[in-house]
Amino acid sequence: MTQTTAATDTRPRESGPRGSRLPEIPGPGETFARAWKALRRMSTALKLLLALTVAVILGTFVPQEPVIPTTVAEWRLGTSGPGEATAAAFDALGLFDVFGAWWFNALVVLLVTSLTGCLVPRIRAFVRTARRRPAAGRNLARLTHHVELRTPLPPGEALDRAETAVTRRRFRRRRIAADDAPGGAAQLATERGHAREGGSIAFHISFYVLVTGAMIGHTFGFTGQVNVVEGASFADTRIAYDLAQPGRWFPFAAHRGFVVELEDFSASYLETPSGTDPGAEAPGDLVTGGALSTFMPTDFSSRVTISEGGEVVREEEVRVNDPLSHDGVSLYQVRFGLAPQIEVRTTDGTVLYTDSVILTEAGGFVWQGVAPVARTEVDRQVALELILLPDAGFNEQGLPVSRSPEPRNPRLAAVVWVGELGLERNRPPSEFQRDRGQQLPQPVILELGETAQVQGLPLEIEFTGLPYWSGFQVSQEPGRWVLLAGAGLMLIGLVPSLYAYRRRVWVEAHPDGEGSRVVLAGVALHRKGVFAEAFEGLADDVAHRLGAVEAPAPEPHLETTERKA
Amino acid sequence: MADPQLAASSNSLFNLAFVSYIVAMAVYFFRLAFTRVSVVGVPKATRAGSVAGAMATMLATGGALVHLASIVTRGMAADRWPWANMYEYSSILAWGAVVFGLLVVQRRWGYGHLMGFVLAGAVLSMTSALLLFTEAGPVVPALDSYWITIHTSAAMVASSIFIVAFVATALYLVKDTAERRVARSDAEYGGSTVGAAQLPRAPARHEGSGGPRPEGYTDPSAGSGGDAEAYASPLAQREALSPVAFPLVPLVVVAAFVLIVWRDPVATLIAGSAAALLGTATWYAVPYLPPAAKLDALAYRIIAFGFPVWTFAVMAGAIWAQEAWGRYWGWDPKETGSFFTWLLYAGYLHARSTRGWRGRGAAWIGVLAFVALMVTYYAVNLFIVGLHSYAGV
Ligand code: HEM
Repeated sequence: MTQTTAATDTRPRESGPRGSRLPEIPGPGETFARAWKALRRMSTALKLLLALTVAVILGTFVPQEPVIPTTVAEWRLGTSGPGEATAAAFDALGLFDVFGAWWFNALVVLLVTSLTGCLVPRIRAFVRTARRRPAAGRNLARLTHHVELRTPLPPGEALDRAETAVTRRRFRRRRIAADDAPGGAAQLATERGHAREGGSIAFHISFYVLVTGAMIGHTFGFTGQVNVVEGASFADTRIAYDLAQPGRWFPFAAHRGFVVELEDFSASYLETPSGTDPGAEAPGDLVTGGALSTFMPTDFSSRVTISEGGEVVREEEVRVNDPLSHDGVSLYQVRFGLAPQIEVRTTDGTVLYTDSVILTEAGGFVWQGVAPVARTEVDRQVALELILLPDAGFNEQGLPVSRSPEPRNPRLAAVVWVGELGLERNRPPSEFQRDRGQQLPQPVILELGETAQVQGLPLEIEFTGLPYWSGFQVSQEPGRWVLLAGAGLMLIGLVPSLYAYRRRVWVEAHPDGEGSRVVLAGVALHRKGVFAEAFEGLADDVAHRLGAVEAPAPEPHLETTERKA
Repeated sequence: MADPQLAASSNSLFNLAFVSYIVAMAVYFFRLAFTRVSVVGVPKATRAGSVAGAMATMLATGGALVHLASIVTRGMAADRWPWANMYEYSSILAWGAVVFGLLVVQRRWGYGHLMGFVLAGAVLSMTSALLLFTEAGPVVPALDSYWITIHTSAAMVASSIFIVAFVATALYLVKDTAERRVARSDAEYGGSTVGAAQLPRAPARHEGSGGPRPEGYTDPSAGSGGDAEAYASPLAQREALSPVAFPLVPLVVVAAFVLIVWRDPVATLIAGSAAALLGTATWYAVPYLPPAAKLDALAYRIIAFGFPVWTFAVMAGAIWAQEAWGRYWGWDPKETGSFFTWLLYAGYLHARSTRGWRGRGAAWIGVLAFVALMVTYYAVNLFIVGLHSYAGV
């Protein structure tokens, strides 16, 4: 700390004097070289990594448009969040879509560049060291870890036996003849632990694999959402999807064209009486809509068939966590709901509309949606706003509520709208122009199978059935295997990069009378504490194999400190 | 579906484990006070300390067994894996920290005298479990998959390891601060690590032990001085630290956290006082802690242990998201948070080998990473709406 302050203090004084010495302006080549050098520094990489985490914090706490667009819209309008002005500032900075913002991508590019700048020399150095055979050791007696042993075996035999011990510990080995060895005695040079650097490199390379996999999925993949009513079907073609998100280079010919039919859908709930659940709202409360129990979906599944060329080729159940995969296309169960079937006729019997209307839950087990009944005459269109109570009843205040999500006692209310509703526009019917239309005062209330007249219009409505609808996500994910491979490489690299460690062990055998004097020595580049123990084990093993006794060490006090540490 | 009788016995077992941990923690702290630590960092317990240590180990082990029984019966009561809501998750986290502490930190690495702090972490986690209590019940279909079993169990293992790592990191920062302050006033003893880079380059011959050491450092076991010196300056370490700040900071942090999350003044008061007590215990314990270099190495080893597990957990989560929602990654707050935590731990590992960041710089990143883990876990579940929030409280 003190050092840095001192440095900043002195700098202005040096460059101050009347501009006589202008600072040197580096040329473009030099600037580039400097930037490159800075990028390759580990501290730069670390700062980039930390900058990335800051971006990620923002992405966690500021609502993200691709994830929750409604909240973002509210923030922009100022109806919730920190206010309109802040939201505008956030917009300018791209904070509502951090992961799509240019600066986030720039950060990623910088990090990848830095990574490349680190990795290329590392890989080169790694290949060089990994190829090199274990180097001969010098001055073994001075190394941190060393023992001297006396054995009755001749040097060659002693080294052979020591070699068995290190081989069992999977060290790489090299024998050096006495003439070539620096100590003038035959030596066994061994080494282990390249897996650390190799693993670390594999780990860092896995980023490229993961990024490649994600990009392949992004550009060549396809995701679509589709809602189907029981008994209906859709084909895997572009127009079938309610919402399609093809990758930039997704070839439309890649749609498989097979037909998926929803045979049947089932949902089961677990009912817990509210009385025993302290967390539940009291009956009559708006949130639970007067339900006397809480309901949790325990299972929901769609039975679908897949047909190709008019023939059924597969019949299967699709559930959450159990997607269906066919011909490279995956079908995921994502949502479901009720879709009352209605028929609207004029009083003279002409059928105006007959369809199942996909409703969405409006809370409290109440379902809502809009049926566009007549849209041909632009200024005399008819729409029905449907409200479904699957299990109708009355709460304590006498208001109609639904007591459960299951269609036990369904009641359908249809609010009739007429006028210039804009139903001909290419918009969802639920967004019809309420302000240009007119709402008939009396809604039509129907039981299942019932028909009722619309008061004030020559129309009648029949509630003919109550099937479920099921929402699927359909996707093609061409980068999937690349991603999995990247994830595998990351794990495979990570473990040795954290646990393996480079260490070298030498065994030197000097002839000594009948037998030999053996020096065993070692050093570790990382995890020194672990090596200290491993070395002791190795020394004991070697001594045992050589039938050796430990020679009195030349510097006993040093030896004891070493052992303690 | 849920079996109320089993659920009730699970709750009583939980309470029993909770009490044993608290008692064990107290006894561990008692043991710490009867530990002598020489400057080289080899803890030696006096006779009273050894007895206390054995008792504490027994209490903690017994508590962990009872706790395991509580977790198992909870699973049997709900007829599923017992990790589907925050109560269960917090409970298992505490259990994991205790088990990791007992088996790895105490048994394998011989840092048993630090177990009081590990148990404090576990007790805090169990307190939050109590505050987040939910009756045993089934799960929504999206949580019913074998990938969730893999994903959440890996996340829990990693998180409990990170709790222990945080304990070591925090103790390192405390000890390091004490050593530095003493070093400033006392030229004799210069601290053990420390922030290694800021000190003159360490001579290479120290390879065998600890980390680099400052000049003027003498190894008492090598000759003169010995225990006398080891005692003289460590006691000065306590005096170098403020006895006010130590209870105050944890009090404010924990009380604010509990108040914001649970809005319960009684819980705030209890948790705050417990935190203050813990802070005072830490202040008192400073002389008995291993040297900062050792604590730094310990924190690194623990994080290196947890990081691959966390990596795997995030990956398994992505695979599960693919199965359940049809996309492996969607920057949902929980996913973003886990990735963020992961990045910070990766940052820690890098900082450990970057000049200028070693020591304290790295440790602060480690603290930040742990905060990120906690935020991902609590704040995202409790405050932020995302696909994951239907996992509920
Ligand atoms: C995408 C971001 C990155 C992540 C998540 C990441 C992650 C990791 C991890 C987990 C390790 C293992 C730590 C260890 O061995 O102790 C590591 C080691 C390493 N990383 Fe990175 N890394 C990233 C980018 C970089 C960059 C850009 C560089 C180059 C400046 C770099 C250079 C290194 C080096 C030299 C090591 C070995 C350090 C050692 O073993 O002590 N990394 N990295």
